[in-house]
Amino acid sequence: MTEKKIGAKSQAFAGLSTQDKLRKVGDLLLNNAMYIIIIVAVIYISIKVPAFLKLPSIVNVISLTAARLPIALGIGGCIVLTGTDISAGRVVGLTACISASLLTTTFKVFPEMTSAPPIFVVFLLVLAVGAVVGLVNGFSVAKFKLHPFIVTLSTQLIVYGVILMYLKNGTNNGQTLSGLTDGYRALVTGTLFSIGNVAVPKYVLYAIVLTVVMWVVWNKTTFGKNMFAVGSNEEAANVSGVNVSRTIILVFVLAGVMYAITGFLDSARIASANAATGFNYECDAIAACVIGGVSFVGGIGRISGIVVGVLLLQIIFAGLNFLSVDANMLYIIKGLIILIACAIDMRKYLVRK
Amino acid sequence: MSEESRGNRDIQDAAPHQEKPQRQFRGLYDRVNISVGTLNMVIIVLSILLVLSMGYGIAHRGYVITFDSLGGTAVESGKQMYGELLLEPEQPVREGYVFDGWYRDRDLTAPWDMQEDIVTESMTLYAGWKEK
Repeated sequence: MTEKKIGAKSQAFAGLSTQDKLRKVGDLLLNNAMYIIIIVAVIYISIKVPAFLKLPSIVNVISLTAARLPIALGIGGCIVLTGTDISAGRVVGLTACISASLLTTTFKVFPEMTSAPPIFVVFLLVLAVGAVVGLVNGFSVAKFKLHPFIVTLSTQLIVYGVILMYLKNGTNNGQTLSGLTDGYRALVTGTLFSIGNVAVPKYVLYAIVLTVVMWVVWNKTTFGKNMFAVGSNEEAANVSGVNVSRTIILVFVLAGVMYAITGFLDSARIASANAATGFNYECDAIAACVIGGVSFVGGIGRISGIVVGVLLLQIIFAGLNFLSVDANMLYIIKGLIILIACAIDMRKYLVRK
Repeated sequence: MSEESRGNRDIQDAAPHQEKPQRQFRGLYDRVNISVGTLNMVIIVLSILLVLSMGYGIAHRGYVITFDSLGGTAVESGKQMYGELLLEPEQPVREGYVFDGWYRDRDLTAPWDMQEDIVTESMTLYAGWKEK
């Protein structure tokens, strides 16, 4: 059956005039321009630096992907709603700083404390902090009908101010927080299992669990279906009885919780946190989502796409890192990747129309 | 009927709406005003720019390592590749102090191990000083 289909397809292709053939091939090349460039770059890098394809480097890419996955899964929901969230990185920073200030042995932010609270309590606390920021974002978007860009721009600034003030607390005086407890670090960066001599950290498992949870939320729950309905046509969703405001607020709260998880994991992963932690994370996350096919048209996107997007970005940046390409240049490359991804996304939309 | 199940049923009703939305452009592309042909050119130009900037980055590869002697004599910066051990620079000198190695941070909490640590990014190292 499928063979017949493919046969018919290739026959139809053969039946086209040369001009049409060229157009079809052109379409294919343009729609996949980003993937083609990244694949060619990866091939070039692995020829130039063979160590790139060795096990330690592969595990490194997987770990980095796992570290950046939760924030992208959160932002993905906001993009499905035709919005975005640029406060994400700062929320990661704030939650990382809160985790690092409490689960520590030095207590510079709270000098009167003598022992670290249970890890679980701190985890719930940062989740609550993330959820509150998400609630503010979601409420303003849903009720004031402001564009998410404006709302999250303001919360981004507010959260950054809060981070700076928080770090001034106690005897810390704005310095980097470190000296995390062994229990906290072991919980996040402890060895999940080893391949050869290369240890895979535990947060890879957490990222997988979060991906599965988000897949279920997006695909199997009423909330997920409502999210796609609101994203693809808010008025139609409203007419058909979806509580639009509640859906928007919930999407942003869920995103806030995902940023909080990213922050909680990140501070233990890097073993420290400061005001710069999480800076620009939202750029990577938004880029990953767009590369992974979460469309700014709204109502289009898949969890698997986000995972692929994050992975592709980490591969290309790990590769450029291997080639010792300077971080300044990486910013330009990152910006171009986002622009191209958006242009391709827009093209797909125009052609489909 | 609960809110949830009502929403669920009506989504199915709403499905035909999704296929032919009232407005042609939605979301961030609400006011898109570009033809496919122009967009193709944009994609091609941007792709070329991307390849060029990757090429530029690779042609000028190498991480710049700067040394802040924190009051000692100036130390020249160097350029190194990913994964290399740091080439030890000339030791700085400071009146009344003894040089105590290089550190990753200004607060001198993370010492740089010349035998173990490898270069992974452009960075600044700070000189540690002990009073004589």
